[in-house]
Amino acid sequence: MALSFKVKAISRSRFLRNVFLTSVFILSFLLIFFSKSDYFVVNKVKSISNNYLYPITSFIVSPVKVISRLQTQFYDFRNLQAENNILKEEVMRLKKWQALAIHNNSENKVLKKLLNSTDSNLTLVKTASLVSRNDFMFSKMININAGLKDGVVNDMAVVNYRGLLGRTVDTSVGNTRVLLLIDPNSSLAVKTISNNNYSLLQGGDDGVHLVSAFSKDEKLPKVGDLVVTSGSAQIFPPNILVGKIVEIRKDNFLVLPFVDFKNIDYVQVIENK
Amino acid sequence: MFPKLLSSQTLIYHLILFFSFSLSVNYFVDLEFFNFLSYAIFHLTLIYLVFYFFHFSLFFISFLYGVFFDIFLIDYISPHLISFLVFVFLFYYSKKYLLNFSSRTISYIIIGLTLLMFVSETLIANIFFNYPINYQNLSWLFLTSLIVFFPSLFIFSKIDKL
Repeated sequence: MALSFKVKAISRSRFLRNVFLTSVFILSFLLIFFSKSDYFVVNKVKSISNNYLYPITSFIVSPVKVISRLQTQFYDFRNLQAENNILKEEVMRLKKWQALAIHNNSENKVLKKLLNSTDSNLTLVKTASLVSRNDFMFSKMININAGLKDGVVNDMAVVNYRGLLGRTVDTSVGNTRVLLLIDPNSSLAVKTISNNNYSLLQGGDDGVHLVSAFSKDEKLPKVGDLVVTSGSAQIFPPNILVGKIVEIRKDNFLVLPFVDFKNIDYVQVIENK
Repeated sequence: MFPKLLSSQTLIYHLILFFSFSLSVNYFVDLEFFNFLSYAIFHLTLIYLVFYFFHFSLFFISFLYGVFFDIFLIDYISPHLISFLVFVFLFYYSKKYLLNFSSRTISYIIIGLTLLMFVSETLIANIFFNYPINYQNLSWLFLTSLIVFFPSLFIFSKIDKL
């Protein structure tokens, strides 16, 4: 009797283990299979991890964040004198530019009135700050503290004061993940300011530059040309500053983005009017 | 079934796992070494836990960590999930042979598997999702793992004696 019970108990536990193992593998297979598509379950898992798991991990690593901030402050303090001199020179230079800008601005207003054109094609959806970064090892993404409740949805352009940063990819209620331009899976339609040379840019392997993947014209642009969004892919509004061409290769060219991706604090989510 | 899962040693290992996971998914630009360190420690701890404190629940734990690592670091689910589950699965079916080795040999197997896992994660991310193989990061990970390997084994052996 006792022996038969033991045998039954063992076989039941083995059966349960096999069922458990099979379900884990089936679930993994389904998640892998649907992870590249916009499947509801995968998006839900991403949303849950962003809303609930992220705050916990951020809380746990808060001492390290404090150390990191202290280290930055220490370096800033050490470089204060040199930075002050640089800033003084910058102020002098900017004053000259300011005078020129005021002059150009008033001239622009008059010309716009003559042409009866509108001022801007952009609408600011939300200004948000950086919550955490995920650009360690593989993808280049950041988290910002704006989400569905602020009107942010997927595929909106994100900029800061220096230019285009990337686009929103995973939007949850209070948080959004932004795919940076330098991610290898990010692509962007651009044109050069000087001669309207249209091309497609992708994140480079070095995590710093953008590489042209396709050029509409056979003629390659020149080193030093400024690159702006062309607006043809519908995600990014036209004429947002992206970067400067720094190297021309045989088949493609390299663009150095204006945004310093290592120093991001505040960003703006924008859309076309 | 549960005492092995809830023993004080196992709990400490799970705390180490969660802490190193948290550090790995939050990137510190100025303290990048912390990220490499925690990423290496996470892999070492997971493999050590599977070798010396194997429990069936480790399949589920590896599944969860794999999914969350993939979501946070890649945004697509695969590289970590496949690496972790394949490792636990292979161990489960070969543990009767592996555990016959001496503790020194097992230590070498642990570090070997850690490095192999880094390579497999990078390769899967490259093949499936077009993420380039960053040799510099991979070398840093290898170096960090080799540096922390003996100190972590020493600490783990102290935890085992608790």
